[in-house]
Amino acid sequence: MVSPSEEVARRKKKVDEKQLLDLCKHIISFGKNREADSIEVRAIYESELETVVRMGQVNSVNMTTGTQIAIRLYLGKRMGSAFTNLYTKEAVEEAVEMALAAARATTEDHEWIALPYPSKYAAIDGIWDGSIVSADSAKIVEMTTSLLGEVTKAEPSIIPAFGSSGAGYTYSAYANSNGVEHCERNSAGYTVIQSVAKTETGMTPSVGSYDIQRGLEVDTQSVVRDNVEMIRICMKTANGKTGKYPVIFHPNAYSQLMQFTLVPSISGENVTRGKSKIGDMIGQQIANEFVTIYDDGTDPRGINTSIADDEGVARQKTTIIENGVLRSFIWDTYWANRNGLKSTGNASRNMRQGLVQISPSTAVIEPGTRDVSELIKEIDYGYYIRNVQGAHSSNPESGDFSIVGNPAILIENGEMVGAVQGLMISGNIFDLLKQVKEISSTTRILVSIIGPDIAFDDVNVISKE
Amino acid sequence: MIDKLQTAIEAGQNAGASYIEARGEDGFIEFIKMDDGRINALTQRIERGVAIRVLVDGAWGFVSTGNLADMEQAVVDACSMAKAAAATRREPIELVEIKPHESKLTTNVELDPRHVPIEEKIEYMSKLTKHVQNYDKRITAVTVSIRTSSVTKYLLTSDGTNLQSSGILVWVYPWATGKEGTRLTTARYEEASSKQGWEYMNKFATPEYIGEKVAERVTLQLEGVSPKAGSYPCIFGPRVIGILAHEALGHLSEADLNVNSAFNGKVGEVVAAEGVNMTDDGTLEGLMGTSKFDDEGVPTSRVEIIKDSVLVELLTNREYAQKLGYRPTGSARAESYLYPPIIRMRNTYIEPGDMSDEELFEGIDFGYYCADFRAGQAQMNASFQVGIQEAYEIVNGELGRSLTDMSISGIATDSLFKITGISKENLEWEVGRCGKGQEAFIGSGGPKVRFAKGGITFGGSS
Repeated sequence: MVSPSEEVARRKKKVDEKQLLDLCKHIISFGKNREADSIEVRAIYESELETVVRMGQVNSVNMTTGTQIAIRLYLGKRMGSAFTNLYTKEAVEEAVEMALAAARATTEDHEWIALPYPSKYAAIDGIWDGSIVSADSAKIVEMTTSLLGEVTKAEPSIIPAFGSSGAGYTYSAYANSNGVEHCERNSAGYTVIQSVAKTETGMTPSVGSYDIQRGLEVDTQSVVRDNVEMIRICMKTANGKTGKYPVIFHPNAYSQLMQFTLVPSISGENVTRGKSKIGDMIGQQIANEFVTIYDDGTDPRGINTSIADDEGVARQKTTIIENGVLRSFIWDTYWANRNGLKSTGNASRNMRQGLVQISPSTAVIEPGTRDVSELIKEIDYGYYIRNVQGAHSSNPESGDFSIVGNPAILIENGEMVGAVQGLMISGNIFDLLKQVKEISSTTRILVSIIGPDIAFDDVNVISKE
Repeated sequence: MIDKLQTAIEAGQNAGASYIEARGEDGFIEFIKMDDGRINALTQRIERGVAIRVLVDGAWGFVSTGNLADMEQAVVDACSMAKAAAATRREPIELVEIKPHESKLTTNVELDPRHVPIEEKIEYMSKLTKHVQNYDKRITAVTVSIRTSSVTKYLLTSDGTNLQSSGILVWVYPWATGKEGTRLTTARYEEASSKQGWEYMNKFATPEYIGEKVAERVTLQLEGVSPKAGSYPCIFGPRVIGILAHEALGHLSEADLNVNSAFNGKVGEVVAAEGVNMTDDGTLEGLMGTSKFDDEGVPTSRVEIIKDSVLVELLTNREYAQKLGYRPTGSARAESYLYPPIIRMRNTYIEPGDMSDEELFEGIDFGYYCADFRAGQAQMNASFQVGIQEAYEIVNGELGRSLTDMSISGIATDSLFKITGISKENLEWEVGRCGKGQEAFIGSGGPKVRFAKGGITFGGSS
């Protein structure tokens, strides 16, 4: 049987980002020789090793490794793209030929101006931890069993339904025919648990807790504490009431809601295409004055942070809402060029589909001054929403939503009483931004958001009859 | 490919694995996206890769790789990883025994999408875009996506299973935006076939048909009134009862989810009102969830999840069938070689009942008729939510005004008891994509079904 060190050695010997950049440059050169007028390539190598927990035990250890090479080129203003997962000279040259054939077959995009030009990259510390590459299956299994052991020791009623620990890293490179050449590496280590517990009448909602770092030094204790505290509250059941009540949202909950309502409206593409309700409101008050939100692709705390976006443009900090006033949208190169603006470094590339889209990096919400526990204490009757169901079924263009809070916790006389089943929350995101009562100081660092719990006033709540 | 997979099986046996599963894929896949007539993505790709899954000392190891030259190393790594997990298990994972099958399955289509010129696909998308734009001047933006694929899949196992199958996909997904004054709204539509080639787009999912479907939904949203929040008697059409079957109970009848859910331990118990029958069937001709075998080599089957209101059977894979003492239902599916197979639904539906459509509407003074949905989601405590994009008021038994941005929710363990009528007419299907960590194309459907007040909660701003 192979030893863990041999397993690690094999993972390590794959390609690195400099080799990927060399491949990108070869593809650019080959494409230009084949008469592409403009050409760009993004290549990545990903390696992920993770455990899978089922029914409270490690069920499987999974490893996914592979290269992805996405090519986009232009013949005049006609675009074609191709993808291959095969890291060979023959395969990438065949992919260039496919992209050329696609470009010849398609129609001109008269609005297309140019691929990105070189930009100055900031040095960002802390997005790579080499210990990730040395992680082997024994290490991540140990991380997982430690998590499972701690959580069931802290609360014997807990059923750890799903979970995982993992170590992943990405080497990436980008080059284009305008002279942009960039490569970098990013790493992530994580541990996550989704628990349930039996109640008198059925089952609690599943409660997810996680920690994600750049290395393997994850904070298991805080994950256990968070999970157990919430499950214990959910094991008690409560009845809700329909009406308008104060509601506190955990960032897990409002980040999902924002992703499917606010985020589409700040995308430069949607603004340009008339699909944003706030497309003409730059400089106007759209939220309460103590709301400040920015997109920051350079914050080392954010797991989405990188030196460059997926078209080689430097990441940056972009203020979206400042003291309630709408300040900026987010852009990639194509839509920024069409509007005479500069990309904000928010291009995201679906490698296999060849689709470049505008996407936030990490949304950061400026915290307030008081802990969330202080905010809860002041509520006579209201709700704490830990997570939501159905945010993805919101109307991304009107901003209307009607979702289920799950877990939804009833707050009575300043105390969390228990979980309410089937509690719906409805409204419009642009109204909700004006209903912010207070932003707590309890900042939580999640995958796509760094933000505190937020209290809202007069939220429409519909309780199951 | 088969030689390489055979090498993997032998390497796994030499490394001491009690079970080795080697899946290979070789495919041509295409994605095109058009925004208001502008091509935004036009990507063709050749994808080749292998997934190795081994059972060693009672735990799984899984390796996915695009490097076919690394096959033996991938197997050895998978065995090493499984051993690390096995050392921590209280009891070993075992698999239910199955009869191994050897088969070469081909798809006979008129027009393999791989050989349809790109120009023809772009023309299809342009026509669709124009049809939507011309439907109503309030429609201000149209995005059309299409996906096609021609993929050959291979499955070899150490049990002797040896399957090769060719698969086809044609898929179209328009998304349209409507604007009137300050009111902005959107709707989507989706059709796909895995049994017909590009001829499906020429004969059934034509630009005119698909365009009209999405355009009429946008205009209904623009003209709709806000729903009243609360609980009302309601009737769900086939598209909505299908997604409800999928979300409300379908997921919780997947054995891997059931064991941690509100339906755990309820097999053999009454879980729904009288007359309710719900089935998941992987054998129905022509539907998106249909295939002859699953991705563990088990023949697909018809699973009567609820029969005469009793929960009678769960969807299983080989592992959960052994663990729970059920039969393997052929429900193990993997999106691609990048993922291990997990338990998934195929074609899930409520069986027709004994009422006419007219009888269903009788006696409803005020309620809602939900005809089409935007998306849905289920939770372990049986809570479900579905966003609705086409709905109407029912007033005195008749359809009334259209509604905008409605959403429904409920607790499946309660809601299924509130079914008060099931139509015997028009069992219809819709195409969907389920995202349980991996994408799976599914079918869902049913006839019209009526719920009493208290069964479904409606979210709304009024």
